[in-house]
Amino acid sequence: MKRIFKTKFNAACFVLIPVCIGINYVGKLFASLLKLPLWLDSIGTCIGGVLGGPVIGGICGAANNLIYGLTTGDSITLIYALTSFGIGVAVGIMARLGRMKTFPGALLTAVAAGLTAVVISTPLNIIFWGGMTGNVWGDAVFAWSQAGKLPVFFGSFLDEVIVDVPDKLITLLLVFAIVKNLPKKLTSLYDVDDEVESLD
Amino acid sequence: MAFIEVSNLKYRYPHTKTLALDGINLSIEKGEFIGIAGENKAGKSTLCQSFAGLIPTMFKGAYGGKILIGKKNAAETPIAELCQSVGLVFQNPFNQLSGAKETVFDEIAFGLQNLGVPREEMIKRVRDNLKLLDIEKYAYRNPFDLSGGQIQRVAIASILAMNPELIVLDEPTSQLDPQGSEEVFKAVEKLTKSGITIIMAEHKMEKLASYCDKILLLHKGKQIAFDTPEYIFSRDDLDSIGVLPPVYTQVCKTLSISKKSEKDKIIYPVTFQDVEKLKGFFPEHLVGRITSSEDDSIVKNPVFQIEHLSFSYNPMVSVIEDVNLTFRNEPTAIIGQNGAGKTTLVKLLKGLIKPASGSILFERNDTKNQTVAQLSAQIGYVFQNPDDQIFKNKVMDEIMVGPLNLGWSKTKAKESARDALEMVGLIDKAEQNPYDLDLSERKLIAVASVIAMNPKVLILDEPTIAQDVKGKEIIGKLITSLFARGKLIITILHDMDFAAKYFNRIIVMAHGKILADGPKEEVFYRTNTLKQAHLEQPHVTSLCRELGYEGVFLDTDDLNA
Amino acid sequence: MNNSISLYVDKDTYLTRLHPFTKLVFILAAISIPLLWGTLWMYIVMIALSLCLLISGRIIRKAYPLIAFSFTIIIMIFLIQGLFNQENKNVLFSVGPLRFYKEGILYALKIGLNILNMLLCFAVFVLTTKPATLVESLEQRGVSPRFGYIVSSVFQIIPQMIGTMHTIQDAQASRGMETKGNLLVRAKAFIPLISPIVSSSLINTRERAIALEVRGFDSKVKKTYMEDHNLKKNDRTFMSLMTILIAISMIWRIFQWLS
Ligand SMILES: Nc1ncnc2c1ncn2[C@@H]1O[C@H](COP(=O)(O)OP(=O)(O)OP(=O)(O)O)[C@@H](O)[C@H]1O
Ligand SMILES: Nc1ncnc2c1ncn2[C@@H]1O[C@H](COP(=O)(O)OP(=O)(O)OP(=O)(O)O)[C@@H](O)[C@H]1O
Ligand SMILES: [Mg+2]
Ligand SMILES: [Mg+2]
Repeated sequence: MKRIFKTKFNAACFVLIPVCIGINYVGKLFASLLKLPLWLDSIGTCIGGVLGGPVIGGICGAANNLIYGLTTGDSITLIYALTSFGIGVAVGIMARLGRMKTFPGALLTAVAAGLTAVVISTPLNIIFWGGMTGNVWGDAVFAWSQAGKLPVFFGSFLDEVIVDVPDKLITLLLVFAIVKNLPKKLTSLYDVDDEVESLD
Repeated sequence: MAFIEVSNLKYRYPHTKTLALDGINLSIEKGEFIGIAGENKAGKSTLCQSFAGLIPTMFKGAYGGKILIGKKNAAETPIAELCQSVGLVFQNPFNQLSGAKETVFDEIAFGLQNLGVPREEMIKRVRDNLKLLDIEKYAYRNPFDLSGGQIQRVAIASILAMNPELIVLDEPTSQLDPQGSEEVFKAVEKLTKSGITIIMAEHKMEKLASYCDKILLLHKGKQIAFDTPEYIFSRDDLDSIGVLPPVYTQVCKTLSISKKSEKDKIIYPVTFQDVEKLKGFFPEHLVGRITSSEDDSIVKNPVFQIEHLSFSYNPMVSVIEDVNLTFRNEPTAIIGQNGAGKTTLVKLLKGLIKPASGSILFERNDTKNQTVAQLSAQIGYVFQNPDDQIFKNKVMDEIMVGPLNLGWSKTKAKESARDALEMVGLIDKAEQNPYDLDLSERKLIAVASVIAMNPKVLILDEPTIAQDVKGKEIIGKLITSLFARGKLIITILHDMDFAAKYFNRIIVMAHGKILADGPKEEVFYRTNTLKQAHLEQPHVTSLCRELGYEGVFLDTDDLNA
Repeated sequence: MNNSISLYVDKDTYLTRLHPFTKLVFILAAISIPLLWGTLWMYIVMIALSLCLLISGRIIRKAYPLIAFSFTIIIMIFLIQGLFNQENKNVLFSVGPLRFYKEGILYALKIGLNILNMLLCFAVFVLTTKPATLVESLEQRGVSPRFGYIVSSVFQIIPQMIGTMHTIQDAQASRGMETKGNLLVRAKAFIPLISPIVSSSLINTRERAIALEVRGFDSKVKKTYMEDHNLKKNDRTFMSLMTILIAISMIWRIFQWLS
């Protein structure tokens, strides 16, 4: 248990966080340039979780939304700092449990991350938006559920599931492919158990 | 006890089998200037990083022995504490930037802020070092928008400003123009007068010979010798260690002029001053280069025609100013000071950036009308920084990208990729991740990835950076053989000896203009122009001039008695 | 730098000279006061106040795109809530076959004003605060320099990553991959782009980590700064004003509960 949350607070980890935030930004940029029905804004957070563990993953996620909220005027993203935090932690835990080493494991991680996002975001959506997500596809489902007199909570939940689960699936598959191919020189920097062996 | 004591130092990187350092023993006094020489992968950078404590603290792996600096044990002192007494300048300056600061001024101040240096003192030190490295002009520019050499100066300044007692420099002048690197050596040497100790890994043997008190010779992680430059460069096993002695020593060896003989050893001069003292022993006449009057009757067709070309990154400063040039099929070198616009010029040729005014004709067609991808089959370009160019996870895939994009079949692409790898001597690395290779190898991979496309024009941006003798020879042979196959080769260089050896035509650039353009036999004798462009003559050339020989001397083969 | 992600506008006005903390207190006030009063007109008052600040700080123009951006979402909310809100009873008006209800519209109005209010008060902060100043003020008040590093390097890293993106595109184009052309060509070129961008920026982290270590990043010594960011007289006045307003609102709220 302790190993799962073990974190080295060294420069290597502190450098990882801004890079992950940058990766999130680039992912989001791609999604909007290509007009994809996905966010793709948590690639970096997931990488942070995989390499640095749940604590770094969580920090990546939360810092991401805080920084964008406070500097780019997108104050709406501030609220979702909690969601991003959850995603980072979830992916970090799954990675430390060794799930990101295999393809089925990556799928499982994607489901875990997607559900975490849904569980945290739904109440936030209801409080701040009356249940919507701001994503056209998801909101269409929400409108449909409301027209059918389904409870707001349920409609909002569906809205999130439609958006978040496929998004996290694509995200984590990308992350899986990228991390698998990282050079050893880099990944060994983030090995938690490594100690210096003595040659004397 | 000496200031620095290294005893039986051993180190192995994680996930590797062989020792990168194997039994290093040194003792270094305060104020000494120590050089580290050896071929690529000898372990120079590894040793540099051990002094700064990065090995083993950051890299982990397996470590044995001890480095004592003053009273501090490098392996056990936290880096944050050690960095106050040991400064390390990296081999690749692009990596030394903190990435958190928007101006060069703040970048240099970053380390001082972390160490809590008082404000007035901090500002003074930053100013002094900006001046020392001649980068005052760029103080308020973004460090990421500078040219390669300018970044290297910022990297050196950022470490010098921290006032460490021991400064470790890992090939600190690889991207600097000749005068710039001379200035860095002078500045560093001056520091030793105030008791600062310098350790420097270098491939420029002439510089090591004239500035170092002692040189450590490394080979495959083992210490071969630790002695004065004279003794090191008079060894007769240098060839097998992959080190070429300074040109001065080579010349004296060719002419069998030695300084003195001790016991069974012959000692050769290693510096310019040494040679001058032995002036009397040199033959009265040397013939020099016999320029075969080339068959000028065959007028070659122009490949590139550049007319009134201008370009700037921002409207305030122009980088290329009204350049007119014609390139024909011959090995052509572009030399010039840092920030002269060399990289910019070749990027324009390649079509990566578009001219602000003027035109570039490639085989009579204006390049404006073609995309970079369309030109890629004809014009190959190897970037200054290989990391800008490598984007696959396997060397073989990386090299096959180009051929496949040209629409070649998989078998043909693979064949061509194998040939290219063979040419740069890295065929055994085909299955590795390029990022797990060393800088020198990554540079060669980048070259191979372009050759594999078999372009008509090959543009190389500083290919000799980080290469040892063997690497330079590989590149030199490549240039010769591609020229023989009828290709145009344009190469940007800071290494005058290399330029003089392998190229016919030399173009000198400064401040976005062409200062000189012609055959090397002529250009390298225009000393005023060279000086204006922060360049120097090739070592043999300046030596023979000082010795008073008439004729043209460009490399050691020209010393015909 | 032109491709910076920060919206800071480099103008010397009284707003830019205010201490970042003062503007943060303003955000706090702008969000908490309407919540405490719980009435729609309070939102309108705070929105008006933000607008006044933006106008007097000569940056209202830069706020237009932000407002425009929020409007698409606000319109969606009006549509969905006005049509389908579960509380809907009384028809307010109808457009063709669509009937908009009073309850839904009121609910949407509240959410919409809340969003607008948040956006504008953040705009006051974001448009007039240089990120480096914010980071330094935070660090000088005891926030860990590591956190400061994260924030300031995000501002450097994003333009740099976009630079890397262009470099990789250049490298790919140099070797024959078409990156210019219609949308399909560009879309196809994007896919082989994202993976190298991510890998190369991660690979750079290794070198960057080492670079920071040798520059004393982990040093326990108290850092020094080029400038001190202290609260000035203007800041104190402004801050006290905001605090008083929040206090009044709180007292009013408590009073409401008691009665
Ligand atoms: N991070 C690393 N992980 C694993 N092996 C490494 C690492 N860095 C270097 N090596 C290996 O250690 C050996 C020594 O490398 P080092 O970089 O010290 O050589 P060098 O003498 O500095 O060479 P160059 O002249 O190319 O700079 C090489 O075999 C190299 O492949
Ligand atoms: N992306 C950029 N944005 C703004 N200015 C730039 C950019 N790249 C280069 N410059 C500037 O343009 C000038 C020419 O740069 P260039 O890279 O062509 O020089 P160079 O001759 O190749 O130098 P070096 O030998 O140091 O590599 C320099 O002053 C440099 O600072
Ligand atoms: Mg090295
Ligand atoms: Mg250059």
